[in-house]
Amino acid sequence: MSVAATQATRLQLSHFGRYAIFFVLAVIYVAGLAVSPAFAEPNYILNILRQITPVGIAAVGVTFVMILGGIDLSVGAVISLTSVLTATVMAGDVANLAPAILLACAVGLCIGLINGIIVAFSRASPFILTLGMGVAVVGLTQMLTGGTAKGIVSPGFREFFNFRVGGLLPNLAIAFLLLVAIGLFIEKATIFGRQLFLVGTNRATAVLSGLAVRRVTIAAYAISGLFGALAGIALLARSGVSSTVAGQGLEFQVLAAVVLGGTTFEGGRGGIAGTVAGVLVLAIAFNLVNIAGLPYQMQLLVMGFIIILASALYGQISDLAD
Amino acid sequence: MILTRRTLLALMGTTATTLAIRSAFADQATDTAQTAKAAETVDTSAFKKSGKIKIGVSAGYLSNSWVVFALQHVRWEASKHDVSEVIVTDAGFNPAKQVSDIEDLLRQKIDLLIYWPVDDASVANVLKRAVDAGVPTVQAGGGFTDAPGVTSNAYISQWKLGEMVARHLMQDIGGKGKIVAMLPIAGTTAAVDQLDAFNTVAKEYPGVELLSAEYGDWNRAKAKQITENLLQRFPKIDGVFSPSGQMSIGMAEAFDEAGRLGETVFSPGDEYNGWLKWAATHKQGGVVTFPTRAGQVAVQVGMDILAGKPVTRGVAVPSVYVAPAEIGSLVAADRPDDWWASQLPPEFLPQ
Repeated sequence: MSVAATQATRLQLSHFGRYAIFFVLAVIYVAGLAVSPAFAEPNYILNILRQITPVGIAAVGVTFVMILGGIDLSVGAVISLTSVLTATVMAGDVANLAPAILLACAVGLCIGLINGIIVAFSRASPFILTLGMGVAVVGLTQMLTGGTAKGIVSPGFREFFNFRVGGLLPNLAIAFLLLVAIGLFIEKATIFGRQLFLVGTNRATAVLSGLAVRRVTIAAYAISGLFGALAGIALLARSGVSSTVAGQGLEFQVLAAVVLGGTTFEGGRGGIAGTVAGVLVLAIAFNLVNIAGLPYQMQLLVMGFIIILASALYGQISDLAD
Repeated sequence: MILTRRTLLALMGTTATTLAIRSAFADQATDTAQTAKAAETVDTSAFKKSGKIKIGVSAGYLSNSWVVFALQHVRWEASKHDVSEVIVTDAGFNPAKQVSDIEDLLRQKIDLLIYWPVDDASVANVLKRAVDAGVPTVQAGGGFTDAPGVTSNAYISQWKLGEMVARHLMQDIGGKGKIVAMLPIAGTTAAVDQLDAFNTVAKEYPGVELLSAEYGDWNRAKAKQITENLLQRFPKIDGVFSPSGQMSIGMAEAFDEAGRLGETVFSPGDEYNGWLKWAATHKQGGVVTFPTRAGQVAVQVGMDILAGKPVTRGVAVPSVYVAPAEIGSLVAADRPDDWWASQLPPEFLPQ
């Protein structure tokens, strides 16, 4: 083979490598189809979209931070806090709808800003910092609510989001796709998006080349906090207020989705498209084992295997491409 | 991932171990044995105390509304007696912290310890130390615990609760049909006992088939997601066995959104306000209570112990059935979903 031809092949394969997660998604979707014809029904697929909306929205926000090379473990706590806060401010009144949502977003944004400022201006490890922030936010939530989830959702709020346009597409799913589109736009079409990748790939170079690294960092964490708040509102729309720890543990699903989607802990690579595919892979895996009717313990085992296999497959494809 | 022989053997070993772990929880025989043990009298003469009482409450966790209500019942009952102070500690699901919490309370010279554990085994020792130091201990709200460190129990039998729910469901569906069961966190006393109670009752109704037992972790969103899958798997579901009101509403929503609410009958749930609102509106389901007043009973038992009166090793806080038609009196329409029907006076309701 000539050198040029080898180069061309390598370029094609590397292109393929970036989209490995979509291949994995296709494989697991086909597996789902083999298990149950439900996966062919549009109603069911859109149901899955609705199910993943809270985790999905949060994952989009965390992707920004992880492209930077950081991490945000406070997102689960932010979801719990904003979910309860929104319901509390709504207090069952339609007039409170807008203030409730705005307040929740402001709170999420603030928490993100604090995370970002501390990471940008100190040598604090983002892992420990956001973990600690998460714990603090859980405490804050308990303090504000006294342990019982307060608040009554405004009438019409949940009905609006569960309403299916054309009898098919739920508004919640549309909201999710809209936020994904916004995220993709920021990532691919703005200078900020380019800067994220630059800082994530080589921080030292970015600093030396005069990039406002601190500003980029703070902005990324702020976006993550904001998307966390939006995820909390989505969770409220999906399930109503049922506890003060509704978001507990979601940060691990979010992380799994982001890493599965190709955005690694080192930063500088990956993206939101991959994250969304990652979230879908996790959701299909869960629904697959559930709908297959396996006994519960087997469900957990098989779901774990699917996630391991998915990441292994993804790794193999990426290796082939490199 | 290369599937070597070693990997395969490790996998098989793990699977076998997981499936072989036998649960040590109640079935009907164990429940009967527990009831018998609970009826035993405890000699409380050693604990007799006069004057103002200091109550210590070691909460394994305070992060859900049920325990918050149980705690308010403790405070309410305490206000009716000669109690100087109620000190509350929260272990936040950390067993080691609960041990140090109880030690702290003992250092503060409490006269009575009310507790609900994160994990029975971890606190067994420190409870024994409390009893040896002359401080009686009363377990509140969980299953019956028989240990040297536990003076008495204000316990709720999950098995009996499950049995009541199952029997009413059987009545409401006419004794035959296909049922799905929604249970809490797998492996907990509640989950194991409720499922066993259902299976025991179902034996008397050969026309009833359990399609699937699912675990919703007391999580409304998860129960909804699982139900969406159940609706895909099973073209007809005649009945839903779900003692937890929180999960029942999630399930009801899923049925409603699939347009299949009319084909199924819901079992009674607990007195979770969100479920009460739903059951009152839809006039079905009813309630089998999971009484938060276990906290109140615990203090009553504790005060009897301190007065030197004989008490039994366990006082069952019975679940009661409330028919759908009578739910109206229990619902608190202006309160959030995450609220529990109770007799608490307004000044003791959670703020």
